[in-house]
Amino acid sequence: MAYKHFEMIEKNAGLLGVLIAIMVSLGGLAEITPLFMQAHAVKAPPGVKPYDPLRLIGKDIYVREGCYLCHSQMIRTLRAETQRYGHFSTAEESVYDRPFQWGSKRTGPDLARVGGKYSDEWQRLHLLSPRKVVPVSNMPDYPWLEHAKLDVADVQARMRTLRRLGDPYTDADIAAVPEALEGKTELDALVAYLQGLGIRNEPTAQASAQGASGGQP
Amino acid sequence: MSWGWSLWVMGLVTLNMGITFLLFLWAPRAKIPTLPDQTSGHVWAHGVIREGVRRLPTWWVWFSASMFVLAWLYLMLYPGYGHHPGLLGWTSHGELARDVARNDKLLGDLQQRFSRYTPEQLAQDPAALQQGGRLFIDNCAACHGRDGKGNANLGAPNLTAANYLYGSSGTDITTSIHDGRSGVMPPWASLGEDNVHNLAQYVLSLSGSPHDATKAAAGKPLFTTCAACHGPEGKGNPALGAPNLTDQVWLYGGTLADIEHSIGDGRQGHMPSWSPRLSNEDIQVLAAYVYHLSHPGDVRAR
Repeated sequence: MAYKHFEMIEKNAGLLGVLIAIMVSLGGLAEITPLFMQAHAVKAPPGVKPYDPLRLIGKDIYVREGCYLCHSQMIRTLRAETQRYGHFSTAEESVYDRPFQWGSKRTGPDLARVGGKYSDEWQRLHLLSPRKVVPVSNMPDYPWLEHAKLDVADVQARMRTLRRLGDPYTDADIAAVPEALEGKTELDALVAYLQGLGIRNEPTAQASAQGASGGQP
Repeated sequence: MSWGWSLWVMGLVTLNMGITFLLFLWAPRAKIPTLPDQTSGHVWAHGVIREGVRRLPTWWVWFSASMFVLAWLYLMLYPGYGHHPGLLGWTSHGELARDVARNDKLLGDLQQRFSRYTPEQLAQDPAALQQGGRLFIDNCAACHGRDGKGNANLGAPNLTAANYLYGSSGTDITTSIHDGRSGVMPPWASLGEDNVHNLAQYVLSLSGSPHDATKAAAGKPLFTTCAACHGPEGKGNPALGAPNLTDQVWLYGGTLADIEHSIGDGRQGHMPSWSPRLSNEDIQVLAAYVYHLSHPGDVRAR
């Protein structure tokens, strides 16, 4: 294209817009396609299992309440982070997170390995009224979680959908949902989810890229 | 990364760099129709804005060309060109490992010095207290408070007081941190509301707190059950973590209502085990810091 054609593009905003959209789409296709295909190549390592019903709905409550807006779940490969939070996060660890909760916004601390750091009672109190345990916290209260019941059919539907997407839930798993959710509230589910974060899926020294472990012993 | 996608990335990078290179060749030779007033004749806003035609500044051409060369150099040295790992072999976890090793080396002497002393002795070492204080804020403050004064909402003990539930020697504190602690007071609501009330009055009387003497007397015989853990005189038992009821220290609050709640519903305070999260060295300096919280007089240097 010679220079004389540029005037038409420069002076015609609509045409300029269309051409930009075409170029950006081509660029996006070129960059996103391999990432998309690679993402399906990531397989769950031995310690990572699909969420049990209570933790599954806990995760969805986490998403619904927008916890990800202030908490990331990705420990980066930086010493300051591995020292504070533990081994850096890997892609394999979140194969069953749909959507993944990595994030990059940290108003609160990273939660990738918060499981077991505090007692269940601490988690409950902290969700209902954060300032009762951390006076300087600016996290909102979530008092309704304590009274909200869980819907068995809803959780079963979620599990069936996830199974269609490839998560290995069996019919027995889905049939066991009513038992697992018996008498539980949304608060119980969220606490169960939080207490399971990063537990038993921390990469071992060999698995994390040929002996280049950066985590704590 | 599979060979196919590797070639895809290599192809794209080469294509982009090729187009850039061709632009370098084309731009200086491009024939731009120029009017006598040194503009291209493209006008906007009815001639108010016109497009001038100038040669690219030489410094800009050189700068841009050097960036082009640097881009290739970067792709040679670092990962980015398909699955080519880069001549430097750089990885993010490799850099982290180097950083951690460098830091461990810096801390090596200090850690070695710490390992020679007990938590009691380290409580007099400002370096240990500084490190322990950091760890405390990050790991313990959520329950025990930044000042270590505890939290009655949780039953997290005040660590600045002298009487520890499970003992306050360096070894006891180290065990508490390393293995965690679980309170095991069962609920006694089955005794009936009146009995729980009378028992609470009796418990208040043990510490000389204001109480109803008649009800306390009625509650006294029931205390034989409690004595199994709290001792016949209610002085507690550090081996079980049973609190001393004769002092003015109350884990969950010392009002009549608090005590009735504690008796009726039981208390199962839980401190997690820190051995999966913290190294033994970390736990040792942490124990020293906690020891110092309850024995502030021992420390000359802060």
